[in-house]
Amino acid sequence: MLVLIGIVIKMLVVVGVTQGAVAYLILVERKVAAYAQDRIGPNRCGPFALIQPLADGAKMLLKEDVIPGYVNKPLYLLAPLIAIVTATIGFAVVPFGPVGVSAPGVSLPFGMGDYKVDFQIAPAIDIGIVYVFAVGSLAVYAVILAGWASNNKYSFIGGLRSSAQLISYEIPLGLSILPTVLLAGSLDLNAIINYQDALGESLPFGLGSLGFLGWGVFTCPIGFLIFLTSAFAETNRLPFDLPESEQELIGGFHTEYSAMKFGMFFLGEYLHVITVSFLTVVLFFGGWDLPGLSQEQVGWIPALLKTGVLVGKVALMIVFMMWIRWTLPRFRYDQLMDLAWKALIPLALVNLVAMMVFLQATRS
Amino acid sequence: MGTEYTPIFVFLILAIGVGSSMIILSASWLLNPKKTTRVKQMPYESGMDPIGDARQRFDVRFYLVAIVFLLFDVELLFLYPWAVGQWSLDVAVAPTGAYLAGIPALFRDLVFWEIFVFILILAGAFAYAWRKGVFEWR
Repeated sequence: MLVLIGIVIKMLVVVGVTQGAVAYLILVERKVAAYAQDRIGPNRCGPFALIQPLADGAKMLLKEDVIPGYVNKPLYLLAPLIAIVTATIGFAVVPFGPVGVSAPGVSLPFGMGDYKVDFQIAPAIDIGIVYVFAVGSLAVYAVILAGWASNNKYSFIGGLRSSAQLISYEIPLGLSILPTVLLAGSLDLNAIINYQDALGESLPFGLGSLGFLGWGVFTCPIGFLIFLTSAFAETNRLPFDLPESEQELIGGFHTEYSAMKFGMFFLGEYLHVITVSFLTVVLFFGGWDLPGLSQEQVGWIPALLKTGVLVGKVALMIVFMMWIRWTLPRFRYDQLMDLAWKALIPLALVNLVAMMVFLQATRS
Repeated sequence: MGTEYTPIFVFLILAIGVGSSMIILSASWLLNPKKTTRVKQMPYESGMDPIGDARQRFDVRFYLVAIVFLLFDVELLFLYPWAVGQWSLDVAVAPTGAYLAGIPALFRDLVFWEIFVFILILAGAFAYAWRKGVFEWR
């Protein structure tokens, strides 16, 4: 019972923080866009437009919610629900701080003993990444149902394109992490962080004192590039936002959605961006690892430090994604599919074979 | 107290609750106006009256890509357990915590070459699909 209460508290905190973060990420995105285009951006609501997210949210709720007469209503309503549910529960196995041995504890009153605070909703899930990918790929259903149920040509084409894009990029995404998994010998995201931490400190020739050379970005750089590219495509960010390329398809699969239902697709997309950024940081940038931090440190102060480091890295990653948005032009559809099938998948296979041959030569 | 997957199911219920509360809020008559007109009920087609139905034929290549994806995804799922098991007993020596499962050293070479052949067959199938023009989008 006690454990369950702790988990529910963690869940409420996570849902609250991520959804609040999404509201402010939209503001950050607009500000970044404005500065990239030499504009000022939103500046009316409060100092630095800090109340803008509230205004946006209120607008979502107060606008008329049009449901066109030709839609397939059950599926039309189901699609935004799937979008938001899959984007939310993908976060369940992502660590946002130290978990396991280095997690801090709380001693409870009334002699109820100690409670270990793992910074993860569902710790001790061995299949970590596979779960995230499995849940993430369910998002295809939201897109294709929205496109089909809207009974609109733009939505239909957008939904088809988007689902083909999402399933195509899932393969390089899955292949690109295999070298990391081979190295760490686990799919659990905490074990992968701990491996990077331990590897970085055990390197010979004084390189161990640097502490960060064990990160995935140094041990498998090609895998990192493939993962990053596929992650952009999976989250429908520019340069891969074909499904909603405004100039040709109006809004793509969510053309017929308005008010809060449109907001739900938006929220789902940004939640996906947050999850993918966490994954990138955990797999390739050592998670909470920085020179000076290691898994042996126990207690609240190192735990909060590690959480701060992890969240800071994630914030940098998200800003990087926004920066890329205003740097690269959109791909054409045949280029997009060519990149996935003719470049990324062969490259990922070669990368995997290279890593397994290297490990076979050095480890056994 | 359930298994380690219990939190995920609780989280799923919470997420469905959040999502459906948003749908219900958007459908409520209290918050937003509801003025349906005949024109608003039409499918949006850039201001023109819609021509024909949206449920039309579409390109067969979407279907081909979906089939190839299914093949590759299944093979990928086959690679994950191997990637975890192949050297996980070695990693347990390093201070990363102990792993219970893994391929024992005796069978490692055998499994390695089996997976090597598996990836070769996968690459062969990939090359065949490429030759057949599944990935041509022009």
